[in-house]
Amino acid sequence: MNVATINRAGTLLFVLFTLTAPWVLPLVVDSFWVDIYSEILIWSLLAASVNLLFGYVGLLSFGQALFFGMGMYGVAVGIAKFDLSFWPAFAFGVALATGMAVIAGALAVRLTWHYFAIITVVFSLIFYFTALSWKPVTGGDDGLPFSVPPIIALGGFELSITNPNVQYFFIVTMVGACYFLMHRVINSPLGRAFVTVRENDTRAALIGLNVYLIRLSAFVLAGFVAGVAGALFAVFGRYASASYMFYHVSGEAVVWAIIGGVGTLFGPIVGTGLLIVLREELSSVWDHYLLLVGVAVIVTVIFAPRGLAGVYNLIVQRFASNSTRKTEED
Amino acid sequence: MTGVPLLDVSEVSKQFGGLSALDGVNMSLDTGKLHAIIGPNGAGKTTFFNVLTGTLSVSGGRIKFLGDDITDDAVHQISHRGLARTLQIKSVFGNMTVRENLWIAAQSRDGIFSIFKNWKKCIRAQEKADSICEQLGLQALADQPAANLSYGDVALLEIGLALATEPKLLLLDEPICGMGPAETEQTVAKIQEISKHIDIIIIEHDIEVVFKIADLVTVMANGKVLAQGKPQEIAANADVRTAYLGDDDDD
Repeated sequence: MNVATINRAGTLLFVLFTLTAPWVLPLVVDSFWVDIYSEILIWSLLAASVNLLFGYVGLLSFGQALFFGMGMYGVAVGIAKFDLSFWPAFAFGVALATGMAVIAGALAVRLTWHYFAIITVVFSLIFYFTALSWKPVTGGDDGLPFSVPPIIALGGFELSITNPNVQYFFIVTMVGACYFLMHRVINSPLGRAFVTVRENDTRAALIGLNVYLIRLSAFVLAGFVAGVAGALFAVFGRYASASYMFYHVSGEAVVWAIIGGVGTLFGPIVGTGLLIVLREELSSVWDHYLLLVGVAVIVTVIFAPRGLAGVYNLIVQRFASNSTRKTEED
Repeated sequence: MTGVPLLDVSEVSKQFGGLSALDGVNMSLDTGKLHAIIGPNGAGKTTFFNVLTGTLSVSGGRIKFLGDDITDDAVHQISHRGLARTLQIKSVFGNMTVRENLWIAAQSRDGIFSIFKNWKKCIRAQEKADSICEQLGLQALADQPAANLSYGDVALLEIGLALATEPKLLLLDEPICGMGPAETEQTVAKIQEISKHIDIIIIEHDIEVVFKIADLVTVMANGKVLAQGKPQEIAANADVRTAYLGDDDDD
């Protein structure tokens, strides 16, 4: 068995689980875990958005919740205020987030390291307070609830997310599409250019790479992915709220990405899943469970800088090389 | 004369606060020669390279490369015009393999803003990377992360990165600094080989090497060009001796 085979089997298992979760999960645990799993998939996109920036071009953003919030409000305002139907509202949310990423990115990616981190926080705070105080549009503290129009309505046939299975598979499809897009980008020349810039930006410019435009591309892609996550979460929760634009949310996504493993596509899903499950299980029992999360982050950063995905890769590689050695001996 | 000089530098200056690192440098170079720049520490040699490649902006003066004014171009634009360099403090892309390092440098010529093609299917750049591996004798290390290479091999890979961008002019900043005698000999031989096809300007402290390989030597001191000429002329120049050894009043 080699590394590729094991990874392919792992991916297949994950896809199979995801596709059958609405039926398999209720057999083992309470059926609300299907909703939690949907939530994990959505939030994993926010972690993936952090990962695209930190893991691939080396920019640590503490402001990705801004784009999540934009996607969320785009859908909510589109439906509640402009009476848009499902897809136009969804597209409006994602477009708003992506547009915001172009504007914020054009300024932010001129900076790196802590300067970049600070400006992303500042951006997200500006729009957090705007959303909080602009009550007529955003609903401020109370948020903006809405009722979701059907995904498809053709004559008598109607597909609506009020059906839990439709909702689940709508989320799975959208999340899956985002991961497919990220997978394609990461393996494209642009994706290699991301890594090149992360490794050494001075050198990258000297071999003729437009570092600014490469960083901006990553930033816009990350904004798009976070926007899809926000739009999905609006549809999932049937409301939008300024509280999801707060930098706590951005920070959580950074933690998920780091524990899961930055620089790998799968890491953010693992990190998000683990920590959301932990939150569900522990937060009701122990108020200070975040202490545990803090310790976990410190341990990860020191002992497993590539996160859980990195540990997994190491184990798979050991296992693969052991089994090859055995076959050679046989 | 064919007319357009390879590099035409006029009155270039660079100030850092009150310090003049370059103080009205004039230099006109023709193609087809291996050119060396020497000078004591702090003479402004590396700063000169930095303004040529756009890493630093000039405080005054103009730079023309093959007749085009490149003074205000960005670093990556200058690279696309055909000016490549290596850095004094060696730096490559550590977590990428040697082949990936060379591939991205070669791919920069074909464009990297395509997202729906797998990078492994960018054949021209792959072949270019392989041929440079071969040219520099790095085949055995092609699949190693660049961070694992020895100092001498990193220096070679740096030259490889520059070559992969298919430059018209290659600037080498102390390429053999820190190498042992055997490595030095090999690298010098490779530089001479490369200079048959590509114009080179080399900054080097090893005077022996410079006098052996250079066709033309420029001496810099205090941000100015002190002298320019064939190696034997430079060796005999009294001003150069003064710049290197200081005034000798007893004589």
